[in-house]
Amino acid sequence: MAGLLIALAGCKKNTLDLQPFDVLNPASAFRTADDLQLYANSFYKIFPDANTVIRGDYMSDITASKSAPTYLVPGGFGATMATGWSWSNLRNINYFLQHYQQANVSASVSNHFQGLARFFRAWFYFNMVKKFGDVPWYNKPLDVNDTALYKPRDPRTLVMDSVLADLNFACANINATKDGTASQVTKWTALAFKSRVCLYEGTFRKYHTELGLDGTATQWLSDAVDAAQQVMDGGQYKIHVNTSNAAASYRDLFINSTPSSDEIILSYVCNASQQIFNDANWYYTSATYGDRLSLTKSFIDTYPNIDGSRFTDQVNFDTITFANEVQNRDLRLQQTIRMGSYKRSDGTVAPPDFTYTYTGYEPLKFTLDSKATDGIAKNDNSIPIIRYAEVLLNFAESKAELGTFTSSDWDKSVKLLLARAGITNTAMPVTVDTYMQQTYFPAVSDVAILEIRKERAIELALEGFRYDDLMRWKAGNLLQMTYTGLYVPAMNTLYDLNGDGKPDVSFVTSIPANKVAGVYYFLIDNTQTRLTDGTSGNLIWLNNITREWDDYKYFYPIPYNELVLNRNLVQNGGWDHP
Amino acid sequence: MSFKSPFLRTWLKVFTGLILLFIVAFDVSAGGLRGGQKGSLWGGPVRGTVMDDKGNPLAGVTISVKGTQQGTSTGDKGQFELANVEDGAVLVFSSVGYMQQEVKLKGRSVLNIVMKDNASGLNEVVVVGYGTQKKVNLTGAVDQVGKEVFENRPLVNVTRGLEGVIPNLNIKMTDGKPTRSADYNVRGTTSIGAGGSALILIDGVPGDPNLLNPADIENVSVLKDAASAAIYGARGAFGVILITTRSAKKGKTQLNFSSSLTFNAPTIKPKFVTNGYTWTKNFDSAYYSYYDYKSHPQKANSAFPFSLDYLDALQQRNNDPSLPKTDIDPTTGNYVYYGNTDWQKVLYADTDPSTDQSLSVSGGSDKATYYLSGHYAYQKGLFRYSPDHYKMYNIRSRGTVDPFPWLKLEDNLQYSKTTYFFPLINHADPVTPIWRRISDEFFPVAMLFNPDGTLTQNAAITLGSFVSGNNYSNQGTNYISNTAGFTAKFLKDRLHVHGDLTLAYTNYLETQLFTPVPYEVHPGVGLQMGDSRMNEQNNTTNYTGTNLYAEYEQHFGKHYFKGLVGYNYEHSLLKSRYVQRYGLINDDLPDFSLIDGQAFTLTGGGSEWKTLGGFFRLNYNYDQRYLLEIDGRYDGSSKFPEDQQYGFFPSASAGWRVSQEKFWNVSPNLVSDLKLRASYGSLGNGNVSPYQFLATMPVSKLGMMLNGIVPDATHSPNVIPNGLTWERSNTVDAGVDAGFLNGSLSASFDWYTRRTTNMFTVGLPLPAVFGASVPKGNYADLSTRGWELNLTYRGQAGGSSNPFHYSVRVILSNNVSYITKYNNPNRLINTYYKGMKVGDMWGYVNEGYFADADDIAKHASQTLIRVSSANLPLPGDIKFKDLNGDGKIGPGDGTVNNPGDMKIIGNSSPRLPFGINLGADWNNFFFSAFFQGIWKRNWWPGTDASLFWGQYNRPYSWMPEDVLKNEWSPSNPNGYFPRLRGYVALNSNAELVVQQSKYVQNTGYIRLKNLSLGYSLPASLIRRAGMSSAKLYLTGQNLWVWSPMYKIIRTMDPEVIDGSDPDFTANAGNGMDYPMLKSYTIGLNITF
Repeated sequence: MAGLLIALAGCKKNTLDLQPFDVLNPASAFRTADDLQLYANSFYKIFPDANTVIRGDYMSDITASKSAPTYLVPGGFGATMATGWSWSNLRNINYFLQHYQQANVSASVSNHFQGLARFFRAWFYFNMVKKFGDVPWYNKPLDVNDTALYKPRDPRTLVMDSVLADLNFACANINATKDGTASQVTKWTALAFKSRVCLYEGTFRKYHTELGLDGTATQWLSDAVDAAQQVMDGGQYKIHVNTSNAAASYRDLFINSTPSSDEIILSYVCNASQQIFNDANWYYTSATYGDRLSLTKSFIDTYPNIDGSRFTDQVNFDTITFANEVQNRDLRLQQTIRMGSYKRSDGTVAPPDFTYTYTGYEPLKFTLDSKATDGIAKNDNSIPIIRYAEVLLNFAESKAELGTFTSSDWDKSVKLLLARAGITNTAMPVTVDTYMQQTYFPAVSDVAILEIRKERAIELALEGFRYDDLMRWKAGNLLQMTYTGLYVPAMNTLYDLNGDGKPDVSFVTSIPANKVAGVYYFLIDNTQTRLTDGTSGNLIWLNNITREWDDYKYFYPIPYNELVLNRNLVQNGGWDHP
Repeated sequence: MSFKSPFLRTWLKVFTGLILLFIVAFDVSAGGLRGGQKGSLWGGPVRGTVMDDKGNPLAGVTISVKGTQQGTSTGDKGQFELANVEDGAVLVFSSVGYMQQEVKLKGRSVLNIVMKDNASGLNEVVVVGYGTQKKVNLTGAVDQVGKEVFENRPLVNVTRGLEGVIPNLNIKMTDGKPTRSADYNVRGTTSIGAGGSALILIDGVPGDPNLLNPADIENVSVLKDAASAAIYGARGAFGVILITTRSAKKGKTQLNFSSSLTFNAPTIKPKFVTNGYTWTKNFDSAYYSYYDYKSHPQKANSAFPFSLDYLDALQQRNNDPSLPKTDIDPTTGNYVYYGNTDWQKVLYADTDPSTDQSLSVSGGSDKATYYLSGHYAYQKGLFRYSPDHYKMYNIRSRGTVDPFPWLKLEDNLQYSKTTYFFPLINHADPVTPIWRRISDEFFPVAMLFNPDGTLTQNAAITLGSFVSGNNYSNQGTNYISNTAGFTAKFLKDRLHVHGDLTLAYTNYLETQLFTPVPYEVHPGVGLQMGDSRMNEQNNTTNYTGTNLYAEYEQHFGKHYFKGLVGYNYEHSLLKSRYVQRYGLINDDLPDFSLIDGQAFTLTGGGSEWKTLGGFFRLNYNYDQRYLLEIDGRYDGSSKFPEDQQYGFFPSASAGWRVSQEKFWNVSPNLVSDLKLRASYGSLGNGNVSPYQFLATMPVSKLGMMLNGIVPDATHSPNVIPNGLTWERSNTVDAGVDAGFLNGSLSASFDWYTRRTTNMFTVGLPLPAVFGASVPKGNYADLSTRGWELNLTYRGQAGGSSNPFHYSVRVILSNNVSYITKYNNPNRLINTYYKGMKVGDMWGYVNEGYFADADDIAKHASQTLIRVSSANLPLPGDIKFKDLNGDGKIGPGDGTVNNPGDMKIIGNSSPRLPFGINLGADWNNFFFSAFFQGIWKRNWWPGTDASLFWGQYNRPYSWMPEDVLKNEWSPSNPNGYFPRLRGYVALNSNAELVVQQSKYVQNTGYIRLKNLSLGYSLPASLIRRAGMSSAKLYLTGQNLWVWSPMYKIIRTMDPEVIDGSDPDFTANAGNGMDYPMLKSYTIGLNITF
């Protein structure tokens, strides 16, 4: 009875106003600095995760993969298949910028968080501009009835100027304390990223003269130099060297759970005890799971000899067999692909496995030597997103593009990378690398630019830079390059890839009845797989599928549905077919 | 059947003990028995027993001697005695709900009378909201079934017992797990917006039927139309289920005991290819053909190596079974397997017994009554290793005290406890259902054990977790609920005031444990697979509910009025906690104090709701001919936005008993009763999840590391528009109740339309720059039309001394829903659109197979539909019809106006669900059979449905024999399945993935749900043992099922083919779930 009376007494109007007790709401989420941090943590989801980074070079000229990217196959791609026109991360940032001032915090804390939000907004827009070119600029969250939902795209200049403004604010206001865990955004992260953005925009405008913005390229390149210079002068980072084993210095950056924060500025941190993993071993060592990414012979040939001389300067460099060509090269080669001598951690010899590789140049940059994670997504190695080596390369390239690159600039940038790679003569070359020029960049005659581009490709191989680099250099046509593999002197011959006296592979047109144990019989079917000279020569993969580049592909199509929803959006040229 | 298990031995001991006890009791009491009475010729005493047609004693039956004032009524065991009755007198037996019977004595002094149910059911009393009503006076659509539905049929799960017994109470079971609950749907599609299902009340309190002791249930009433549900206002929009438990009755103590033993087995045992060589050869072909006959597989999925050499070696071993089934690869030193494993034999145990014991005592005096019951059920699950097992314990105690003649106090206490142990696979998080893992990884060639007894790698990623043990989920629910109330009578019993208060507490705790599984690939090299972690989910719910209502009743001549007014308040608070930590120190001591990993999760959460409402009901009738009822409720719910929390929900209904009219002169032998009914009402959809209308900012783990930890994060809120209002359902119902053939045949028919309006669905698509999901609003309307039919015939054959009673009951219903409004101006067919019939399936038309290259070349271009890696069609690949004649097969704009080559090829909503009950009794034998089914329902197998597609799904999937023998080949050009290619039933846009006419199945079914045969021991015998009734019965459940789909394939039970085990990874493939069980039961039921 008492309960009845209490219940009856409880019948006030507001008795039914029940708020959820396990979630925040807009009134309770922005009170203190800790609240702002709690919200700002969500921005980090915008960074690519480890799995995205290790797949980053899927569409490039230096890698061969299981299948030709549909983007390159004639008629393979259209606006109805387009993705990535997704704006929820921007709303999340703009919502924060609209509310963070509710918090009762000091001006410097407030500015730090504003800087952080604007850093991520710059990150967001930089990626949108890279992909789509012009995009609409929004600096506040939109309402359902907002007319701005239906506005046309804003010009690239407006958007990139806004990105630069965001970055400048971020660089000036985000906390400068270096993050020893290489996981949080600091002033240094912002500056390093700014050098990336400005180099991209500067070179893009310089080479894409059709935009009519080449006159503004210099300013962007100068900003890139300036940002990189600030990181270099800051003294917080250096090129990582493994003091006990110099030949492992480079791969240290990719296979350790604890990021080498002397060099790595931002990392996607994986950690077994926190159960945060990537799937590099599975992706790179499975016949079915991954894209079977392999590096191409054309690219491998650009790795210098250990003495600093060019491999491609040798006579008949293109007919050297695998076992020999990998000897006495830049130490990064053995830290990027499986050489014949590669061993797994249990001691098993592991030459390139043709179950997984189509070219013979099988990456190991991100894979762990232990076999424990070969079939499961349990790699605990952290994967860098920004590292100091890139900043040095950004610095060098911006200066070279500005035409102000000197040998002292070489000494404080590229030379440091060559030295870590064990190169004995690290002096700046004085002659044009004709192989680079002929194979990749016939329009470039500047020695420094060619050297820096070569160095950038080697140093940052498979880290997801290559496609963007081709775009800004206006070198998309390189994506049509043949997928080349190792040199095969003759068919039906047993080859020993690692000089241990046991044959490893044989290239055949049909599997022999009597097989030799331990030998992989690589089928040359003259459709998907062939040899350049028919019965000998370089392995050619997937030449039967046409890959086609057209300049309209520099910009990705806006998803077709979006054009229907907003009639003011105009499709990027060339993608008018749905 | 094995009697080796200790469990079985114990049960058999108990069972035989009881039988012995019974025999001893019989002997002892027989010794002291009076001799049989001989009837006197003139004015002697008459005694006897009254039973119902199932042999249960009937108390309270009125017996009068015709033409005299003499009379009595039966006691609690149905016995009666009358002194001094003239021979030749006529005794009249009458009782509410039963046909009146007149018996002439004709020299007999002992009478055993069987009362027949009043077939027309019009005298039945039906439970309605906050009260009961005579069925004759009902004006709304209400259906009720009694306790007989749950009798002589062991049910660990009450929900399963209600399937198919009430027309348009649609219960769809997801699978056969003993714990599985289901949504109770009344009359079809409810809301495509906020959702919503029927409101379930147990003795007036929202509760989980699966925590009930089935033996406690007195009846189940379903309020279907708006008029009958309006008294529940905001929660009655989609019907109300009222479950009433047995109450204490005055009279002598009655004790009931029942016990049963059941053996369970899956209803369907799919026949898979178990020959390793056949399977592997097919695996290679499926893979090879998908890759355009260019490359052979190197592995069967993740771990099993494959090569053509291996296939040769396998063939050799297949031809010569004397060769060993395992070998060592000379180059790697690893095991090589050549198995012929029948995984079903490995997975399932030979016998799966279960048992059910229940005991109840009731009785009372004029001042107090009591009812006490206890129940224990145990079901051992299907698996051979770490078998699942389910236990349920129930206690109920009800009682009343009348401290004053005008006041009755009552209490109803329920305690229930269930536990369920289920083995888990330690492979991925979330856990994959075992059936899917077996299909993906446990091939016939693979084996469970290595020769030295260690687990193989393929075992470790599938069933090994069961074998090694220590990988499991343990679920436990404790529920306690107490309702205390009073009823006071005033004004000469015309005014009743009732009040009650319920407090209920539910605690749910699930612990999951994962410990690494040891295995070997290389002899002597021990490896481990899987996590070491434990987690716990704990939910507690505290519920408070109270009702206060008054009812007044008055006759004025032929006018009758009844008024009810009341108030209801309810509050429910759910609190949750989830803890997970990695790194057990000792696998055998799973406790959070002994786990030291760095990775852990700790989250809380919960939800809360309140409702309060004032309600009324007015009944009026004139001469029981013209019936009128008006109901209404002013209701408030916390689940709605602040300015929309209250609403008023009215309804009205009327009835006309045509057969009571003077002009009605149809013979009762033809039409004995006829009533017309109609109702209309408008109810709110408040039985939905809370907080759907609020902007919230959840906090959760970021999932990545920042500064050495995995921090939490929050983010921008969902966008909620202003001006939201209630979803409402408006129902029009018209019904007829009729009795024919003197009440032997009764029929009830209802037709209805339910319009659900203002459904809370997504708005018009916004440009993606909006950056959030399109806010929902009250944008959609839906109309559901349907009908339901209930036919019962009860007959009798043979003489009155030894009659054969039989009955047939048929229920049948149907409903169809149309979308009448939806935000889809372009009428895209991949979502709802205006005018759509709910369940419509769009697809291509299958035109057979390509015959040759010429056929392929001439046919419309099919480049959008893929048959292989390079998409190069060959003879035997599927040819689609170019409906629009544009020379290419495609979806057009994907709109109703331009669907390309697609058309509506089926409808996935069930049509004409039915139930057929057959019953009979003769002498002391009784028999019943219950068929249940669905006439028609279209079903698309979908991706990862390897139970249907076999190796067309993944080349390494398990392979049903039905598929293997039905593959297209040049020599079998009419095979049901096309050219064998792997992945074509898996990859997007592949030839068996695009919905198409040919492979749409009709998964309608009919099943023999229950078949019972029983024997009631003769009353004259058992009375000597002090018993009033004793029955033995044999029951089979789910003994037989047939579906049109079985003409193609017989790997699935048609009832559980939608989705996979919902406790694990979503979308693991249709049918990948716990099988439905068929069971054989022996049981006994004794009443003292």
